[in-house]
Parts: sequence; structure tokens; C-alpha cells
Amino acid sequence: MKINKEIRRLSREMLRASFTDGQLDPGRIASLVDSLIARKPRNYIGVLKNYRRLLRIEVEKRRARIETASEVARETSSRLVANLKKKYGGDLTTEFVVNPQLLGGMRIRVGSDVWDGSVRDRLERLEQQL
Amino acid sequence: MSSILEEIETKIEGLKTSTTKSNVGVVRETGDGVARIEGLSDVMLNEMIEFPNGVFGLALNLEETEVGAILLGETTKVSEGDEVRTTGKLLQVPVGKALLGRVVNTIGQPLDGKGEIKTDSFYPLEKIAPGVIKRRSVSQPVQTGIMAIDAMIPIGRGQRELIIGDRATGKTTIAIDTIISQARLNKAGEKGEVKDYRPLYCIYVAVGQKNSNVARTLAVLEKEGAMPYTTIISAPASDTATNQYLAPFAGAAMGEWFMDNGMDALIIYDDLSKHAVAYRQVSLVLRRPSGREAYPGDVFYLHSRLLERSARVAEEFGGGSVTALPIIETQAGDVSAYIPTNVISITDGQIYLETDLFYQGIRPAISVGLSVSRVGSAAQIKAIKQVAGKVKLDLAQFRELAAFAQFGSDLDAATKARLDRGQRIVELFKQKQYNPIPVEEQVAVMWAMQNGYLDAVPVERVKEFQIKLQDYLQTRKESLLAAIRDKKQLDENIESQLRAALDEFKTTWR
Repeated sequence: MKINKEIRRLSREMLRASFTDGQLDPGRIASLVDSLIARKPRNYIGVLKNYRRLLRIEVEKRRARIETASEVARETSSRLVANLKKKYGGDLTTEFVVNPQLLGGMRIRVGSDVWDGSVRDRLERLEQQL
Repeated sequence: MSSILEEIETKIEGLKTSTTKSNVGVVRETGDGVARIEGLSDVMLNEMIEFPNGVFGLALNLEETEVGAILLGETTKVSEGDEVRTTGKLLQVPVGKALLGRVVNTIGQPLDGKGEIKTDSFYPLEKIAPGVIKRRSVSQPVQTGIMAIDAMIPIGRGQRELIIGDRATGKTTIAIDTIISQARLNKAGEKGEVKDYRPLYCIYVAVGQKNSNVARTLAVLEKEGAMPYTTIISAPASDTATNQYLAPFAGAAMGEWFMDNGMDALIIYDDLSKHAVAYRQVSLVLRRPSGREAYPGDVFYLHSRLLERSARVAEEFGGGSVTALPIIETQAGDVSAYIPTNVISITDGQIYLETDLFYQGIRPAISVGLSVSRVGSAAQIKAIKQVAGKVKLDLAQFRELAAFAQFGSDLDAATKARLDRGQRIVELFKQKQYNPIPVEEQVAVMWAMQNGYLDAVPVERVKEFQIKLQDYLQTRKESLLAAIRDKKQLDENIESQLRAALDEFKTTWR
């Protein structure tokens, strides 16, 4: 999709207005979207698409995706979530995924940061070193 | 066998406890050798990033939510949704003497089938040029072996001298001649024939050239025995724009190793016009704003930072040097186009080659009026200065008079003498390709010309006279040539010997 300056500026302004106290506010987001649709400025569909993309990136920054090779015990997972929240702030949402391809261990992704302690990663690194 | 097992064992031990932290992103768009990646919040500018399947990229555009990267290697293996990770490393190439005699690609991998390049040292492609404190002025010559250049447009070690001209005017030939001349001097230096000789290692960077041209250059260098002192970096026309854009920087990195270790290097960038075109392509597909002729705004900086890395370093920092001979191809002799003016303003002078002269049979087709060397005369040896000091002026006056002489038939004696001298100088400066002349022979020949020994020789036989004279000096007066080479200047003793030698030669010449 081609994004022009106007779209970029407007969607960025909308993103800036979507926060209350440093957190995304669903109510404000809904009203922003509604008012945009009601006013129908030029390129408003492009603006909405880009706004959605910016929001997605923003949400991903505050979401932890925890991949494990097998199901984790409830106690371990709650300890993990508590530790992650201590590091990334209380508004972090977590998502647990079972991925047998990891072979063992765990892989946590928050935004662009990845902690990889999986067996697959170690094997890959071993392969590279050899 | 057991040692390998132990080695693997220790590596596994090292891996056991580690959890790696990395910064990742996702490919959103790819094509034309670039990828746009979402994420990678910690990536640095010019950092290497790793794609799956062992493909690497270079982060060039850091935007608000995206990163624009150029891909190195197999671009078809990258697809949308691939996970990309940062490596924390800058792109680097192998450097060192192991590269001499080799043909490599932009990232230093061998292309000549002569096996792996064994070296421990690596240099980053992009490096800040030496500062003011580390530098000293140019004072040692680069003997190109081309009489017209050594006499009129001298090049010094650490200088940047542009070779500019239309297609097929002999730009690359000048560069190759220079490499061959260095190889001969290096060999003589190794044998101890030249006093305090510092070897000059050559790096030939071929950007956007036809593979057949690179192969021909390689064949010439091999035939002339110059390859043991030369590295060829090849980013041919079929290579990606990324590789063509990076190749000169790889060459500069390899040259800097010699400079940092107190040695001298010569880099030929053949040619920077195609380099600018490759960079324009990369910039346009990365959607950077374009400027004049669609080149990006930083095309000047691209060349200035590359050429600024040529330097002569002060003795306390090793005393090494990197000399650069960038080549620019003009269109229909237009030196005022965008890229030519940029590079002319960056370099310390230019050798301008003209199509007209080339087809008149004056080869190398150096235009004396438009060629200059801004710093090289400080590096000329005294003997050359003594015999060639006035040559440039003589030639300039000759060109002016020649234009007038076409109209009038009656010329006074002084004008006639000047015209005769000019015609003979022009003949002397004609030189076959791949045939560099040692500096002592240049001195002897020019001394003969300055002292009127050529005045009686008909113009069309001047070249023959010169070749026979050189033969005579090589075979019969070796000690005289050695004396010029060692003393580097003409004193009364040498001049009287020269006079005696020429008088003797003249009796045999008919």
C-alpha cells in the first residue's frame, strides 16, 4: 500500500491521541475511529488502515508470546508472568502457545525482543558453530 | 578423531545453560534486492541482520515502524513473514596479504577457485578516514611507468587522482599499466636493485564491468606477472546492485590494512560512474528521496567518504599510505555532468583522456590542458623535475601555435623551433599499452629531447629513435641507468656520462 505524507501524519496523530495515562484506551480508539468515519476526510480508508497497523505494533509491544515445547505447569506460568510484568510493566498481556517444534525449553517474545532457551535454537547455533 | 569429539563436547557444554536474547523483526515486503522489515527496534544503522537460510542483509533505513534493508547474497530465499534477527555486527571483509594474487567478490569470498583465503584479520567496510593528526603530506612517488603522466601529471602515494574520459579511451589501460609498473618495481625491490624501495600493493575493484572485461584484465595481469602483488575485487554487471555498491568500500578496507601496517597500497575503482548508478538503484528501491538525475542526496557523500580514506599516514602511525585511482566514464566528453563534477572536486587532480587524441593515434590520449595533479609534484623525484619541468608549458605553447600555424606558411625561426620541439614531445609521449617505462629510462630519453638530440631526427622516426635509445641504454649503459635510479637527480657527472652515451649512440643511429 502506498502511504502518503498526509496519511502518515493523520494516523500518527490519532495514535498519539489513543493513550490515557500511557496506556491504550479502547474507548478513545473507538470514538476516534467513529469520528473519522463520520467526517470522511480525504484518504480516510488509508488513514484507518495505517492507524490499525500502528495500533497492532503498539499492542504487540505490550504482549508477551510464550512458546513452550509442552504444556507448562500453572505454578511455573504464573511465576513467569509475574517476572515479565515486573520487567515490562503491569499492562503486559500474555499468551501461551505450545509448539512441539521447539523440541524442548521455552521461547518468549515481547515486541521485538526474543529470549530463546529452546533446544531447537541451541541446535541451530551448534550447527552454525560447527 | 577424539579431539574433534572433545571439541564438540565443549561446545555443547557452552551452549547448555545459555538463553540468548535477540532482537527480531518480520519481513513485510521484499523485492528488487531489498526488504522492509517490521520490528527490529534495537537495530543499528549499517548493522548486519540475519534472515533464515543463512541470508544476510544490511539495515540502511531506520524508520518509525519499519527498517529498510538491502540483501546480500541469495535474495530469492527471503519471503514475506520470515523472522529476521539483529547480529550486533557490522559488515566486514577479510584483509591481509593472503588476499594478494586472488580474485574475490564484495564480501571477500574467492572467485578464482584457488581455495579458501586463510586470514585472521577482518576490517569493517565502513570506517572513518584518518584524521588531520594522523596524516602527512604526499611526498613519495607512484611510478606509473607512463611517461606523459610521470612527467606532467605526477601521482604521489596517498593521492587521489581521477582518470576520466569517454568510453574506449584507455582509462582502464592506464590503471593496468600502473599495476604492471608497480609489480616490476616490487620485483626489483625484492631483489634489492632499487635503494630503499617500499613495495606498493595493488587492489583493482571492478564495479559493474562485464565479466569478460574482468577476465581479460586478470589474464593481462597474470601474463605480466603482476598478480602476486594484486587483489581483484569483482562485482560484475550481473551481480546485485547491493554488491556493486559495497565493492569499492571492501577494496578500501583491504587497502587500509596495508596502510595501518605501515605498507603502501594502490586502489583502482573501475568505475565510480557505475558505482553511483548502483547506489541510485539501491536508494530508489529503498524509497529514499531522489535529487538531480534521480541520484539520492547523499551521492556526493558516498564518494567523498570513500575517497577520503586514501591517505598518507605520518611516520609515528606507521607511515603507510593508500593511493586511489578512481575512474569515471563521461558521456560525449561532458565533464560538467553531475557525477564527474562531484568526483573531480573530491580528488586531488585528474587525468583527462580525449577521444579525438585517441583516434589521432596519440595513445595514451591524455589531454594536457585539462589534466592536473594538485599534490603530485611534491612527490616527483628531482631527476624528472630537472628534465620535465618545462614540458607541460612547451606542449601547451605548441598546441596554441599549431592552431595558428595552420593558417600561415611563413614562420619565423623561433616559432618553427617550438613547433618542431612540440611535435617531438608528442611523439615521445606515445606509448604502447602494458609497456611501462622505468623512471631512469624516462629521465634519459627526456634529457636527450631537452638537449636537442632529437632535433635532427625526423618526426615520424622519433619513436624508433626512442626505442633504440632505450635498448642501447639497457644493454650498454646499465651502470648509468643505475646511477640515475639511485641518485634520483642529475649532477654534472651523470650529465656528462649521458652526453657521452648519446653522442656514441648517435654515431650508430641512421
